[in-house]
Amino acid sequence: MNIHSIAAALLLLAASCAPTPGAAETHVVEISNMAFSPSELHVAVGDTVTWINRDLVPHTATADDGAFDSGSLKTGDSWSYVVKDAGETAYSCSFHPAMTGHIIAR
Amino acid sequence: MPKRSMIKAALLSATLFASAPAFAADAGLNDLQIADIAYTAGEIDIGYAKIAVATTHDKDVKAFAETMLRDHQTVNDAASALLAKLKAAPEDNATSQTLEKNAAEKRAQLSALKGAAFDKAYVQNEVSYHQFVNATLQDTLIPATQNAELKSLLTSALGTFREHELHAENLARKLD
Repeated sequence: MNIHSIAAALLLLAASCAPTPGAAETHVVEISNMAFSPSELHVAVGDTVTWINRDLVPHTATADDGAFDSGSLKTGDSWSYVVKDAGETAYSCSFHPAMTGHIIAR
Repeated sequence: MPKRSMIKAALLSATLFASAPAFAADAGLNDLQIADIAYTAGEIDIGYAKIAVATTHDKDVKAFAETMLRDHQTVNDAASALLAKLKAAPEDNATSQTLEKNAAEKRAQLSALKGAAFDKAYVQNEVSYHQFVNATLQDTLIPATQNAELKSLLTSALGTFREHELHAENLARKLD
């Protein structure tokens, strides 16, 4: 292997490791066993949160402050929300008040 | 008086299930009888919820009742689908019959009430009923179930019904 291919390999490695500035991520929250998992999610503004219902019964993801409401999600359904504002948003299932979660966005 | 017959009903139910595991083994409760008991228990709660939706003016009680309708129907539909898949039918039995007999009494009591008195009676009954059904599922029905899919369904259902119990208890405190 000569110096040029080593340099090329190193550049490629550096490029693949360096985070693309501003790339939004998708975070998955699984709804199962009557709970949101993870119940506390740390995200960046602009990220997407996707809830997927893996329980038998229908659930919702409904923000306390009205920021978002998935509506009724049947088993297997998913719903996504793009986080617009920084701060902490508490949410719950509107059918099952004991099910709660938090999204902490910066 | 409603309270006295509620105590009577609770005592009757407690006596029936006092020696729960022995009962299941001695009575030879099979999966089709277990499925019938679970299904009947769900149908009973649906019945109470229908009365509540038609009677209550409290939005939290109504939301709770609508969740009972939604969840118990979902579980019962899944149980029916599983039995259809297994080409089996639920089997009537003495336990299901007793549950239904007690429920008919309770429905008559609830139907005679209105307003805050109704709300309190409905929610308190939901607390007692879920406590009873959940204990029965946990201690008797699920351990005795042979079929893995039915066992899994009943276990998942129990998780949901435990949340119902919590929800009903919180609601009862609010109405107190």
